[in-house]
Amino acid sequence: MSGTTTRRPGPTDPVEAKKCADWIVAVAASHDREAFAQLFAHFAPRVKAYMFRFGGNSETAEELAQEAMMQVWRKAHLYDPAKAAASTWIFTIARNLRIDRFRQRKHIEVDDSDPTLIIDEDPLADEVVNRDQEAVLVKAAMQELPADQKVVVELSFFEDCSHSEIAERLDIPLGTVKSRLRLALGKLRGGLEGVA
Amino acid sequence: MNIKHHPTDQTLMDYAGGSLSQAMELLVATHMTVCPHCRDKVSGFETMAGAALESTDKMAMANHSLDHVMAMLERDTANENTVEEVIEPRKIAVGESITGSAMTALPRPLAELLPVGVNSLEDIPWKTLAPGVKHFQLKSIESKGTVRLMKIAPGVSIPDHGHHGHEMTLLIKGSYIDEIGRFRAGDVADLDDDVDHQPIADTAEECICLIATDAPMKFNQLLPKLLQPFFGI
Repeated sequence: MSGTTTRRPGPTDPVEAKKCADWIVAVAASHDREAFAQLFAHFAPRVKAYMFRFGGNSETAEELAQEAMMQVWRKAHLYDPAKAAASTWIFTIARNLRIDRFRQRKHIEVDDSDPTLIIDEDPLADEVVNRDQEAVLVKAAMQELPADQKVVVELSFFEDCSHSEIAERLDIPLGTVKSRLRLALGKLRGGLEGVA
Repeated sequence: MNIKHHPTDQTLMDYAGGSLSQAMELLVATHMTVCPHCRDKVSGFETMAGAALESTDKMAMANHSLDHVMAMLERDTANENTVEEVIEPRKIAVGESITGSAMTALPRPLAELLPVGVNSLEDIPWKTLAPGVKHFQLKSIESKGTVRLMKIAPGVSIPDHGHHGHEMTLLIKGSYIDEIGRFRAGDVADLDDDVDHQPIADTAEECICLIATDAPMKFNQLLPKLLQPFFGI
């Protein structure tokens, strides 16, 4: 725990996270091209690397990264900084586009306007969470993970890998995959607010 | 709804990462609609995935990539009036429950996949699998994995069966009990391949559940077992 909660994040990090959120808001408010260019410079190369891991082809990865950034522009008005950090929101756009393109279907999600939606009655759930701060802490924890734990987390998020496939890939027992993941999640959770 | 059983962290993490089969994803999204606890967990995993994206290696974009994107967006603005179509969610009634364990209506992720003309669980064209056991397989799901609704008469027990691969069950109405515990509407049994269980619909009412699996064959192996008592095999 001490490693995640007391660690001093890199000097530019909190500013960066807040800035990214502000840029999306500016794109939504006034089609701000300068803000979009900043977002593009920061996220497009990361989304391209993400797509490359699934597609294995740099042309497709380039095209999908461009498409994802266009969605950032078009969907900016749907972005709510109180609900997600910029990196979280852009990850979900990239993920959904990836599933749409490589698996030819939509990612199935909860619809917030669904009349059957059950809202949390826990008063703590209304606490305002600083999403930028949260994203910064989780990122710091991510960067401090030992390499063997980090690779398991990355394979879980960035490739269609089940536990047993990860075990095969890394040539380690299934139990080891599970325990590394458990350790990693424990550390990453240290940065999250309002999560049990 | 007082939910006691949830998908495992691994399942929620895979949902957030987008690596579940469509069958599993459908079940998780249906559960999440009635479970704010799991919605919170998933947004935590999405935050982690976003952080991983931030700390991953970058891959340089092509020259003039931004200009190209801006030009495409320019065209967007030219034909500005892209009105977003709002589609009313379908309302599919679950029906009264005598024990009070039922969802009020089917959550949208599941409702959307039922055939046109189905307005309540009663309208579903159930197929009998064995005495006391009916099912309905959902179509338009990618080939990896299957998802079906099951309707189990009171007191009927599904014979002891293990799992090849991942299987999840979401209770929609009624309840059942097995070696793990008692499951009521909204609860999810998230079983790994190493679990053997023998669920039994344990109240005076039928039990309706959604079952998603990544290993369709195993389910078929269950059939002879279901029929066993009647044919005395």
